[in-house]
Amino acid sequence: MRFKASIQNITTFTKLTASLNSLGPLAWVKLSDDQVCFTIIPEQGTQVWAVLSIDTIFETYTVQSAANNVINLEVPLISLNRALKTALNATSAQIRLTKKDNMPVLALTIVTTSSSNSYAAFPTTGANNNEDAFETSTFDSAIGGGNHETIITQEVPVRVLSPDIVAGLHEPQCREPDVHIILPPLVQLKSISDRFTRLAVVGAKSGMGTTSSSRTRLEVAANMHGCLKMSIKTDAMSISSVWTDLNNPELDPSQVAGGEIGIAEHPSTRMKQLGSADGRSEEGWASVRIDGRDWGKVMSVGRLGGRVIACFCHEHALILYVYLPNDNGEDESVLTVCGSAVTSCPNWSHPE
Amino acid sequence: MEDEDELPLFAAVSSSARQLYLLLRCINFSEKAHVQISEEGLKFSVDEAGVMEGFAFLDKSLFTSYTFRAPPPQRSSIRDSDDEEDEEETSTNPTFQISLPSLLETLQIFGLTDPNNSKPPWARDNPTSTAFSNNVLGMNNMCRISYDSFGSPLVIVLTEASIRTTCELTTYEPAFADEIPFDRQSLAFKTIMRGTWLFDAISELASTTPARLTLVARLARSQKPYFALSASGPLGSARVEFNNNLAPSTKPPPPTNPPSVENPAESPNLLETFQLSNPETTLRYTYKFSLIQKAARAMSVATKVSVRGDTQGVLSLQFMIEVEAGKVSFVDFRFVPLVEKDGGEMDDETVLEEGEGSGSGMEDEE
Repeated sequence: MRFKASIQNITTFTKLTASLNSLGPLAWVKLSDDQVCFTIIPEQGTQVWAVLSIDTIFETYTVQSAANNVINLEVPLISLNRALKTALNATSAQIRLTKKDNMPVLALTIVTTSSSNSYAAFPTTGANNNEDAFETSTFDSAIGGGNHETIITQEVPVRVLSPDIVAGLHEPQCREPDVHIILPPLVQLKSISDRFTRLAVVGAKSGMGTTSSSRTRLEVAANMHGCLKMSIKTDAMSISSVWTDLNNPELDPSQVAGGEIGIAEHPSTRMKQLGSADGRSEEGWASVRIDGRDWGKVMSVGRLGGRVIACFCHEHALILYVYLPNDNGEDESVLTVCGSAVTSCPNWSHPE
Repeated sequence: MEDEDELPLFAAVSSSARQLYLLLRCINFSEKAHVQISEEGLKFSVDEAGVMEGFAFLDKSLFTSYTFRAPPPQRSSIRDSDDEEDEEETSTNPTFQISLPSLLETLQIFGLTDPNNSKPPWARDNPTSTAFSNNVLGMNNMCRISYDSFGSPLVIVLTEASIRTTCELTTYEPAFADEIPFDRQSLAFKTIMRGTWLFDAISELASTTPARLTLVARLARSQKPYFALSASGPLGSARVEFNNNLAPSTKPPPPTNPPSVENPAESPNLLETFQLSNPETTLRYTYKFSLIQKAARAMSVATKVSVRGDTQGVLSLQFMIEVEAGKVSFVDFRFVPLVEKDGGEMDDETVLEEGEGSGSGMEDEE
């Protein structure tokens, strides 16, 4: 079992692990020849099924194992994220699977070149010495050298999952969505939803009845006319924000079961008949209720800056597809974030 | 009658929710606020255990459009059939309670979605700021407040770019009707000063976490006003004195060049106005410090404060707040005094004697 890769895009990888870490502490990482999958299945809350093309984060990538060159790992995200943070200013970083004291670890080898400010004032000498330091050793440049090369090794203990453990894990199947819509920037959504959640706490305090603080149920709805609605209700108030002029992407006949006929019978085609583009109509909304805090965590994937398509299954589930932008402009990597609606799963909200 | 029901009782549009927020934040010390809608504006009042009240008046001039349709008079006569004569005036203006923190949170939703809200709109390095950008035009501050009929929620609609936020605040039955009586006709004393000076004094005194705040006002010899705030608590006591015409010893530069030339707008007197109804006696009222402190937010933003006490000892703090250049609004507070015990008064008396002594000493030097 061998896995070795150099990390090409440290910032993206760091942001990804940070975002995933806010949704669950442990990730199932599946490394195979052509893709890397990050899956988070917390006990409750939102699942993430992320499929990344290898060159999104890695290059010179090798993976070998007895099981079709697939390696399944359970990775503590907080440690991985912390390790990656030290690599943010690195000139190069490598990751490999090794053993230490018979324990499997993901070892990150990070090479950083730190130049102290006083030497940086003399760029020419600094550059010369830098080359010397490269060829000789990293340690003797303390006096003459402007730049110090530092090698940091971070080890993240992991657990290797056998194929039969993960065999039972499948991406949840969901019926065809009623509404699909491109979300406004998640950072914008998050700032408003965070304010709503705070409002709910304030409202619950001032309300006459003692409502439990866990009842921060955001209602998120969208229609097929470019409208997204987020609302929350408390004893003291009800507030809703409506976004208009968003985009409902067209379905691709080649991707929908049944082709053109499939699209004609697709629930979203029916939803197109209802509602209006100004968002004032009561009809045509597909809505789900989600826990406010959980939603806030989901919104943290916004830091990856990708395009997000939300698929609403009315009163059932909300699936977000986050497309990570690639260097060549195409977005291939997909993060799938599935949140089941509160109605079908009452214990979804967090206790306290 | 039919179309009267369709049109809302009250609707107003403000181009600056921030102004409303700044004023209402001053009285944000209670969960519920009373709102009274009238021809002249919106009056928000907040009450704390019946011993402190705060009012913020949003004048109709703060709004770009303001329509109030007084409810039909028969409504009030039906409701108050037994005492219609004296109720007629007040009951026509709708009064209700709302959750003030919720309202404040709502008003703050503005600018949240603007990525540049951390920077001022005139910042040069702000590439999206053009003459027509939303924050320069004030477009992202547009807010509409409406109240349809008795019992309906207070609706606030905020619009910015392609986002429309609608907030319906549940209206509750009014709980208290009586204001703390403050007799403007029989004032015991009145003084006007800068809000920040009062704020500085209160923040200074707050460091000892005092329980009580005593307000002392008298005319010193040669008709010099003397105003002091003294705080006392379990950790000790402290006092801030406001003296007009500082003694020369406390003024570092020699008085050869007149200081008023440098800044003619600034009054040389700390206390702009100082009136005592009975100049012979020393006025001394005591209030709960923690209550006075609740007005600190208003003190910090006010340009001027008028401190008044009536003969009953009720304190009125009226803050003049400049919401935009040349436009002022008022926020009022009223406090019920603490009844002093005899022993406590004796202690204060001794402290005061010392103060008097030093004060006269300074005058002698002059």
